[in-house]
Amino acid sequence: MRRFALLALCLLSPACGGGPATPDGPPVPPDANTALGGPVVVDVNAPPPTLLSAYKFFLWDPATGFQFNDRVVPYELNTALFSDYALKQRAIYIPPGTTAKFVDEDAFDLPIGGVAIKNFYFAADLRSPKTNLQLIETRLMVRHADGLHALPYIWSADQRDAVLSPAGEVRAISFIDYSGTLQTSNYLIPERNQCATCHGRQTAPSAPVETILVGLKARHLNRVTDYGELGKFNEISHMTDLGVLSGAPDPSTLSAAFDFRPIEANGVASLSEADLDVAARSYLDINCAHCHNPNAIQGITSQLFLNHDNNDGFHLGICKRPGSAGQGTGGFTFDIEPGDPDTSILYFRTHTTDVGAMMPLLGRSITHTRGTELLRAWIAAQPRIDCATE
Amino acid sequence: MHLTKLTTLGLALGFGLAAGCGDNGGKASPDAAVDASPDAATNTFPTVDCKKVTSAHCVQIASADASGLQTAANSIDDNTTIVLATGTYKMTNSLTLRNKGVHLIGQGIDMSTLDFGSATAQGNGVDSVGDDFLIQDLTVRDSKKDGIRVEASTGVVFRRIRATWTTPSSPTNGAYGIYPVKSSNVLVEDSRAENAADAGLYVGQCQHVIVRNNVVTGNVAGLEIENTQYADVYGNTAEDNTGGIVVFDLPGNPVVGRDTRIRNNTIKNNNHVNFAAGGTVASIPVGTGTFAMASRRVEITGNTYAGNNTGDIALISGLAIESDTTKWELDPATISGKIDDLGLLTTPAGKIMNFRGENILVANNTHTGSGTKPDAHDLLQLGLLLAVKYGSTPVDSVLYDAIGEDFDVKTPHYSNDNHMCVGGNTGGTFAALGLIQQMMDPATPLYRPASPFVPYDCTELNGGPVAEVVLP
Repeated sequence: MRRFALLALCLLSPACGGGPATPDGPPVPPDANTALGGPVVVDVNAPPPTLLSAYKFFLWDPATGFQFNDRVVPYELNTALFSDYALKQRAIYIPPGTTAKFVDEDAFDLPIGGVAIKNFYFAADLRSPKTNLQLIETRLMVRHADGLHALPYIWSADQRDAVLSPAGEVRAISFIDYSGTLQTSNYLIPERNQCATCHGRQTAPSAPVETILVGLKARHLNRVTDYGELGKFNEISHMTDLGVLSGAPDPSTLSAAFDFRPIEANGVASLSEADLDVAARSYLDINCAHCHNPNAIQGITSQLFLNHDNNDGFHLGICKRPGSAGQGTGGFTFDIEPGDPDTSILYFRTHTTDVGAMMPLLGRSITHTRGTELLRAWIAAQPRIDCATE
Repeated sequence: MHLTKLTTLGLALGFGLAAGCGDNGGKASPDAAVDASPDAATNTFPTVDCKKVTSAHCVQIASADASGLQTAANSIDDNTTIVLATGTYKMTNSLTLRNKGVHLIGQGIDMSTLDFGSATAQGNGVDSVGDDFLIQDLTVRDSKKDGIRVEASTGVVFRRIRATWTTPSSPTNGAYGIYPVKSSNVLVEDSRAENAADAGLYVGQCQHVIVRNNVVTGNVAGLEIENTQYADVYGNTAEDNTGGIVVFDLPGNPVVGRDTRIRNNTIKNNNHVNFAAGGTVASIPVGTGTFAMASRRVEITGNTYAGNNTGDIALISGLAIESDTTKWELDPATISGKIDDLGLLTTPAGKIMNFRGENILVANNTHTGSGTKPDAHDLLQLGLLLAVKYGSTPVDSVLYDAIGEDFDVKTPHYSNDNHMCVGGNTGGTFAALGLIQQMMDPATPLYRPASPFVPYDCTELNGGPVAEVVLP
């Protein structure tokens, strides 16, 4: 009980906040470990704890944000999966004496006991993304000997702790978006088994289904991020320097996904044609390719493959008829009609909020204005092909 | 102070399973939670309860306890049976199952109902990935996407299931009712699939499948076998769909369909309006009994056809829906299952192509009252062609597009390169359409030989008959 008491004291006292912790890049203050009552606790041999606080990953204060314990390293992605404008704070925990292993194309390989942590929270007004915060859920991917185990925790209304909640929840959440418009999301906190919908992979028809990470990949992390008082670092270098990642080459030798932040802020008008293609492919990669790739479980039946390294036009959707899209076609015939976004199923499905037609299937109930603006511009910029007569 | 509260909350919400869940270990479970419930006087487990199942673990879900069901589904170990009480479960999210050996059993069709009408995301109703799956004795209603989707699983049983949508003929109904996909050793029996905006009972990209004694009604496509190998389809009734029972390959799919038996089914009055919102099935002419498209080694035998207004059986090439042969190219390295004995077309680059309809046997079917009113508005204009060609004469029982063979009505010469065998179908009539020739010259006559339909009079498939499917 002592560790909870310490946590309680800390959350009740503004003095515990330490440095200017922000959701964007909090420092690791020397007192986080003390305030949490010691190092992180992850026991892969015990049943998962009911309360998230038992792990001692971080402190959360709606007024000041996150403070992470030792060996918990936050990171961001160049382009992120859209989840109804939820803000996300990602981090990895790597047990002492171990490292995550760098992997070129797929996600970094966590050591046993390593955890990928993803917090989903909303700001009352996205134009002030550091005030009036509400943490909704924390999703953990805990590395066991037999692979990754997904654990969803839902935060209590008083924001003091989160409870392991395998059943998930659908919750209406209202907020002001970046353009000042009031939005209401039918926000889906996935049930535990639903994690596999995006985090599943099967490399061959008879191969076992594996659980994988989606975002923790070199191309998404290859970026300079502001770590507050610690400084600004390339995330891959930073993880290497902190001793939680091994085997990573010099990041300057690695490719990087497009940084979506300027698009979210200013739209796509100023993008060059080359940047437009990279940005759109980065967006499709992180938002769609967890299902739309040749090794996915669901999505493969469509034969539409949106992984960043697919260069086959047909499987990218160019003049391709959908497999079994039903009402998802919106009445259109081809996944992408180059030059014509308004007749392209890919644009229709990512833009619509018709429940029976929208993509992605999970995690989106409202339209990502800037994201679909990007896809629209990308298709519009492609040389026109009339697929029906081609 | 809040700590106490949270702890209590955790106990209340976190694992509320404990009460209803027990290790069977071959013995009866105590069922304390059920017996202690206020409505214990009413037996909400009249058909089956955990005492009657033999799996390693069993959990009972109280009547209408949707959140209890979700918690259980997301907390169980492998080899768990979930028994639903009678009642309607209002589901706000998919019921997602990812364990092996899950058996989901209700008290009977319409006695235990999973109702997904208030779900807010485009999810399937029941969505399972895991070997040795069984779903039995329940109804799944108003799913946003597919009713019951079981994917990438070996050993799948659907038994006495009803997958349905409340509103008939609505394009916003979900796509597929009963949908095993990319799975093997699949049995679907004694089930009903209704009002799906695509296919009621859809077997996609599976191997070793038995579909028997089901009823499909009110769907666009009643029963579909797509890109599937070794499927035995018998004793089913397909009535009042746009199309009854169909078998086909789609382009670009790495499972090349083969060895399908469609036998002893009743396929009648499939004249339902085509209410598909899109996709391949939107092209199905209203009043279609059966078609086999881009298929090989198919037997259509002993079925009862009646009152299908466009026609009973059509044998067609995949080029009818996708005329660009490059889109049918498949890399042999990506192919699932045995294909080396099929003699598939290959490209100079070594790719294989599966658009051909070939090596199909049609025999011993009965045909009554069909082909009297072909759909003149179908997207492919196949119905229109039939309406024009036949006028007031009923459309022949078996139609063959004759794409990919020599078809010359002047010589006359019909090569039957595709080895279409209708010689044993003495209860019906036959026509080869010459679809390519019709497109070039609409005045081209049909070829309508009398029985035994020379040169389509063969009665055996190349490579021998399709074997009966025996599941382990």
